[in-house]
Amino acid sequence: MSNLLRVEALSWSVDKQVILNNISFDIDRGDIVGIIGPNGAGKTSLLKCLLNQYKNWQGSIKLKHKTLTQYKPHELAQIFALVGQNSPPIFDLKVYDVVRMGLLPYKALFASDSDADKKDIMLALAKVGLANSQAKFFNTLSGGEQQRVLIAKALVQKAKILVLDEPTNHLDIYYQHQILQLVKALNITVIMTIHDLNLAAQYCNRLLLLDKGHLISNNTVDQVLNPELLTKVFGLPCYRDDAQHCGVPRVYFYPAADVSSNQADDSSKGEVS
Amino acid sequence: MSVFRTIKGKSAWIFAGLIALTLCSIVIAITFGPATIKPIAIFQCVFNECASPMHEMVLWQIRIPRVLVGLVAGMGLACAGAILQNVTRNPLADPYLFGIISGAGLGATIATLVLPEQQTLALPLAAFLGALFSVVIVFGIATLLRNMNHLLLTGVAVSFMLGSISHFILYLGDPFATNRVIFWLMGSLTRVEMFHFYLISAMVLITLLTIFALHRQIDALLLGDESAASLGVNVDKLRIILLALCAAVTATIVAYCGGIGFVGLMIPHIVRQLVGVTTMPLIIGSALVGGCFLVWVDVLARSALSNVEIPIGIITSAIGSIFFLAIMYRTRKTG
Repeated sequence: MSNLLRVEALSWSVDKQVILNNISFDIDRGDIVGIIGPNGAGKTSLLKCLLNQYKNWQGSIKLKHKTLTQYKPHELAQIFALVGQNSPPIFDLKVYDVVRMGLLPYKALFASDSDADKKDIMLALAKVGLANSQAKFFNTLSGGEQQRVLIAKALVQKAKILVLDEPTNHLDIYYQHQILQLVKALNITVIMTIHDLNLAAQYCNRLLLLDKGHLISNNTVDQVLNPELLTKVFGLPCYRDDAQHCGVPRVYFYPAADVSSNQADDSSKGEVS
Repeated sequence: MSVFRTIKGKSAWIFAGLIALTLCSIVIAITFGPATIKPIAIFQCVFNECASPMHEMVLWQIRIPRVLVGLVAGMGLACAGAILQNVTRNPLADPYLFGIISGAGLGATIATLVLPEQQTLALPLAAFLGALFSVVIVFGIATLLRNMNHLLLTGVAVSFMLGSISHFILYLGDPFATNRVIFWLMGSLTRVEMFHFYLISAMVLITLLTIFALHRQIDALLLGDESAASLGVNVDKLRIILLALCAAVTATIVAYCGGIGFVGLMIPHIVRQLVGVTTMPLIIGSALVGGCFLVWVDVLARSALSNVEIPIGIITSAIGSIFFLAIMYRTRKTG
C-alpha cells in the first residue's frame, strides 16, 4: 500500500504547553480525511504542522517517502494546497486575481502568465461553477462563493493534497453541502478540519478524532462515530441514529438537562392535542 | 519584457495615456520659471545644441535636474507607499508614517550641529543613516511585539520619539542650525543636481526591478500571511526585503529632497481605482502618477507665489492630509 503521507509520533508544543502529543497516522491517495474534535483539540495545529508552517515540531512527517523538511517551500506548495480561513483582502481583489495566485509555486522570478495559464485559470473557475464571475470583486461574493474561488485557486495550484480548514464555517446548509460535494467530486486526496460531525460522516471516508492534542481514534466513519467515545471527548451525551440516512450514521448531542425539558414539552403538547 | 504581458485591454490604454502625460509633464514643467524657454528650445538643447549659453546654463544646471529629480522622487515615494500598504495590509501606510522622515530629521539635526562646515556631504548622509536607523527601530519593536499589524503604530510612536530628540537638540543649539534643519524638513528641490537624479533613479530602478521579480509573492500577501505561506512564500523574508527596499529608496529621496510626505499614501489609492490592485499594474501606475504628481507640485511650488518658493513638503502634506481624512471617511462608509 503506498502511503502518500505518513505521520509518526508527531508532537508540537508552544511555551512548554503540549498542543499535539505523539500523533501517528497514514493517508493514502484518494482519501478524504476529516479531522474532528472539540475546540482546542489541536486540529488546526495539526494542519499547520503538515504544511510545515510550524517549524519546531518533533517526530516524523513523510510525504511520498521523503521527509517534509527536505522539500523546498515551492515544492511543498505544488503538493499541498490550503483553503484556509483567510483574512479578508484589504483591497478590491478580483476573483481572477485570487485564482491566479495558484500559479505562484510554478513561476520563476519576473515570469508572466502564459496563454495556457490563463486557460487553466478559466477552467478552474468553470469547474467550481464561477466561469462568469472572473471580473467580480472577491469581497462582494457570498461566503460559499468565496470558498469556491479559493478551491479554484487550489486547482490552479495543481496540488496533490487539498487541505481545508473549517471549509463550512459561516456557510448555510445549502452551501455547506455544495462545497463538500465539489471537494468530493475533485477526486483528489483531501484533509480537512470540520466541526459538523454529520457532514464529516457524509463526505469523509476516514476520520481522525483529536482531543487535547491526542489522537483518540483514526478509523472509518462508522468506527469513529461511536457514541461512547464522542460522549467522552465532547463532554455531552451523544446518541447515534443508525437509520442510515444516505447510507451514513448520524449522531446528535443532548445535554442531560435539555433532554428532560424537551420531554416535558413534548408530553404537554401531547396532552393539548 | 515578458513581465509586462499581465497588462492588457483597458489598462493598456490607461498606461499609454499615463506615459504620454508623464512625457508632456516633463517638457512643460521645464518651460516653467522666471526665464521663458519654449518647448522647442528644450528639444534643441537636448537633441542638438542650445540656442544660447543662458539657455544651456538654465536648462542643464537648474531646470532639467530639478524636474527629473522631482519625477524620480515622486516615482520612488509612490512605489514605496504602494508596497508598504500591501506588505503591512494597511491602506493608510506611508513611508512618512514609519518614522523615516523624523529619523532623517534627527540625522540632519546632528549633522548640522556637529559638522556645520561639511553640509553638502554630511547632511544627506546623516539623513540617510537617520532614516534607516528609525526603520530598524520600528521593525525591531514590531518584531519584538510579534505583531506586524502594530508596525504603523510603532512607526508613529518612534516618529514622535525621534522628533522630540531632534527638537530638544535644536532647542539647545544654534538658531541658524534650527532654521536650516526646519527648512530642509519642509522638502525642496531647489538645490538638486544631476548627480542626485542619477543616484535616486538608480535606487528607484533597483526597487522597481526587485518588485517586478517578486510581483507574484507580493500579490499572494494580499490574502494574508497564511495563504501566502501555503503558496510557498517565505513571508518573513519577503517582508524584510521589501521593507528594507522601501526604507532605502525613501531614505535616499529624503536625504536630498527633505521631507515630502503623503505622496506614498495618496498615489497608490488613486492608481488602484484606475488599474486594479495587483502588483504589476499598481507599481507601474504608481511610478507614473507619482512622478507626474511631484513634477506638478514642484511647478506649483515655484510659480504659485511671485517672488518666493513654497517648500514642496508643505504642498504635498496639505493635499495629503485632506486625502487621508477622505480615505478614512470612505472606508468607514464602505466597511
